[in-house]
Amino acid sequence: MRLIPPRGRFMLRVDDLHVRFGAIAALRGVSLHINQGEIVGLIGVNGAGKSTTIGSIIGIVRPSQGSISFENGSLLGLAPEAIIRRGIAPVMEGRRIFPALTVGENLRLGAAIRRDPAGIQEDLDRWCAFFPILGERYHQSAGNLSGGQQQMLAIGRALMSRPRLLLLDEPSLGLAPKLVAEVFALIGQLRELGMTMLLVEQNVRMTLNMVDRAYLLNTGAVEFTGTAAEMRQHADFERAYLGGAGAAAAATDAPR
Amino acid sequence: MTDFSDGIQFLISSLSIGGLYALMALGLVIVYGILRLVNFAYGELIMIAGYSLLLLGDTPLPWLGVAILSVIAAAIAGLLMERVAFRPVRDSSPTTMLITSFAVSTLLQSVALLTISPRPRPVRLPEFFVQSLTVGDVRIRVVDLIALAVTIVALVALTIFLRRSLIGIALRAAADDFTMTRLLGVRANLVIAAAFAISGALAGIVALFWIGRSSLVEPAVGLQPVLIAFIASVVGGLDSLRGAVLGGYVLGFLTIGLQTWLPRELLDYRDAVTFGIVIVILLVRPQGLLGGAAGGGR
Amino acid sequence: MSDRGRASPIWLPRLVTGLILIAGIALLAIATGAVGDRVFVRVVTVLFINMVLVVGLQVFMGNSGLVSFGHVAFMGIGAYGSIWFSLTPEQKNLALPDMPEEWWLHQTTLPFPLAIVAGGLLALIVGGIIGIALVRLRGASFTIATFALLLIVHSVALQTEVLTRGSRTVFGIPPYTTLWTVAAWAVAAVIVALLFKESATGLKLRAAREDEDAAASLGVDAARVRWLGWALSVFIAGVGGGLWAHFITTFSPAAFYLSQTFLIVAMLIIGGSRSVSGAVVGAAAVALTSELLRDTEGRLNTQRADGAGLGQFIPFQLVGFTEIVLAIAIILILIWRPAGITGGREVVSRGS
Repeated sequence: MRLIPPRGRFMLRVDDLHVRFGAIAALRGVSLHINQGEIVGLIGVNGAGKSTTIGSIIGIVRPSQGSISFENGSLLGLAPEAIIRRGIAPVMEGRRIFPALTVGENLRLGAAIRRDPAGIQEDLDRWCAFFPILGERYHQSAGNLSGGQQQMLAIGRALMSRPRLLLLDEPSLGLAPKLVAEVFALIGQLRELGMTMLLVEQNVRMTLNMVDRAYLLNTGAVEFTGTAAEMRQHADFERAYLGGAGAAAAATDAPR
Repeated sequence: MTDFSDGIQFLISSLSIGGLYALMALGLVIVYGILRLVNFAYGELIMIAGYSLLLLGDTPLPWLGVAILSVIAAAIAGLLMERVAFRPVRDSSPTTMLITSFAVSTLLQSVALLTISPRPRPVRLPEFFVQSLTVGDVRIRVVDLIALAVTIVALVALTIFLRRSLIGIALRAAADDFTMTRLLGVRANLVIAAAFAISGALAGIVALFWIGRSSLVEPAVGLQPVLIAFIASVVGGLDSLRGAVLGGYVLGFLTIGLQTWLPRELLDYRDAVTFGIVIVILLVRPQGLLGGAAGGGR
Repeated sequence: MSDRGRASPIWLPRLVTGLILIAGIALLAIATGAVGDRVFVRVVTVLFINMVLVVGLQVFMGNSGLVSFGHVAFMGIGAYGSIWFSLTPEQKNLALPDMPEEWWLHQTTLPFPLAIVAGGLLALIVGGIIGIALVRLRGASFTIATFALLLIVHSVALQTEVLTRGSRTVFGIPPYTTLWTVAAWAVAAVIVALLFKESATGLKLRAAREDEDAAASLGVDAARVRWLGWALSVFIAGVGGGLWAHFITTFSPAAFYLSQTFLIVAMLIIGGSRSVSGAVVGAAAVALTSELLRDTEGRLNTQRADGAGLGQFIPFQLVGFTEIVLAIAIILILIWRPAGITGGREVVSRGS
């Protein structure tokens, strides 16, 4: 039995979210929540509605129905910049760094919402130490970084706003396997730092090893949710995502 | 006259007019980069600065004060234009914004026609606008030198602003990926307002020297500069600030070059020849000299 | 029952659209002729000429999605072209005194409809050549280039006195254009525009408008279909210019410049650029509204002079009042109904 905390204790709460694109229903009543300090996974195949969910949270997609609240304030109808200013930072799919700007300028823009020069400098030093490559390439164009390095920059840039909730949209997409492992190792480190995260991924196995809980989206609705262990045990889930051998291996991992 | 002194004169004229063209193009491109809006009403910002020169010229203010106030007036007009006309259509297609700006341009010209005068009016200018210097056998108009200096100061100031200030960095970022810039918490309205204020201020500076050449202001005074800005920015690449500056100087050298070397009987067709050369440049590089995607349609 | 509705042939709504538009033009022409009021005949004739120009603009803008601010240049070229061919050598001595008598152009005279077509063909030749470069441009670059083209053609017309008499007005053009001829040309323009829209080329052009890459993957050469649309479009603009010159009977570079550009672009946008119906409706709506405004403007100015009525409270002579109202109308329409009055649909479309 999972303890469901009373309403209002959630950091982020999405309730009965519906999104339509013309005649197509992209989301059909998605509900999810994230508690302080948790890492929550959002998994599903392409087109399941993962990006639409993220887009709705950060205000670039307009839901037709439902509610989204963050730390007890509604986010519905707010401009993206207003939502970011509440303490959410997204790392978007495809990294979306500014290639013509230097690495340092990218990072400085990440702190656009802050007004404490000393603290900003402190964080710049901190993340440049955390991601040494960003310190080395500080004055170079961000476009010259490799794919993996750009992902580091995108995450570092998001952290510069000192967010209370980090949204990671497909951070491993398009990266070589070795770099995928690096990115996940990094997420693990952020977890040690106590960062609350929503991790959207297609790499289900690595995601389940990382998160506390997860939601499986399918054709715009939550099909299944539970702890990482419960997710692994879910029969349909095994068939759809992990395959026979993987399912067996996952099952032995799961505490009973 | 020696070839050398001709060369110096040619260089100073070209750099002076080219710098002016570069500022015109920059004012257009800085807004285009962020909104994908080609602002046809940019010329009317020049007109507004011109009429400010005219109206404030009757006051006892010194000319420099009048000039600064006129630049500020153009910057404020740019801000108002954005707020009243462009913000409501900001999320529409580029075509819609384009035609909106055309309508704003016509509207402002018609209002000037109605409330001020359809005829050109003389503007009070300081002495140095008509003086020249003679160094050896080189005769240089003082206003050319001042235009040259002001242009360089403006370009350097703008560069520092775009590199050092947070809004400047945000402007460059927004030209690349506006949504992502907003997703870092940068306020869209602030960035767009900054772009329009800079565009207006550049139009104001251009107005001082453009109107200084003829000392006349009329409702259609902005037409020629806006055409020059269009051509310079298309040549340089609509989505590139550096391209705008380069395009401005290329056009400046082209204009003065044709004026110097074109046979007399073809001089009347200078603009047509310039346009022909521009078409050739675009045939080779449709995206402009420094532009990215072809024409920057998005 | 619904099956029968679906089974109706695909061309039927298009045919009905064409018939309704033609009937509308014919009705307006007949009603105007029946009323016979000189001022009204004049207003409606100008309306039809502008309709030809707007439909011509729609052929390109509506199907390609690109904005041209240069079409009025081809109206000018067509006007001068038709003048060169319609005037007799004696008339040219008076109207175009700078043109050398020994020129072939000076000695050639064509009957009126052929002279109009010749003007259109001249526009087609000039536009066709420039178009080779233009169709390579996209979006804003294209619009800027067409705008520059307008200014250049205007300045060349001002300078080339042998052909145009420069900035001075060409007088004494025979008044060949009548309400009926221009109504016929408007009908022809509408038919051509509707046929083009549904032709293979028109379909490809519209496909390239929506997604050039996808269209290219289906084998559509975007530059080529764009050029074809452009060529047809500037030809119609040239015809419109010839009709204009032979109605007003005077012509100068001032006639084809910014205010005329603004007028026809406003007509198309207000009507709805994506459909031929939009061009027709927009031309009619704007023409009649601006006539009303001009009338009001004149009346207020008279009142102002007499110190009577509302006019006495106006501090200055009203000039350009019509343009101001039109500009505000266009801005409001773009904000509230960006696809124009017709919403970009034809009067009869499938499923309606």
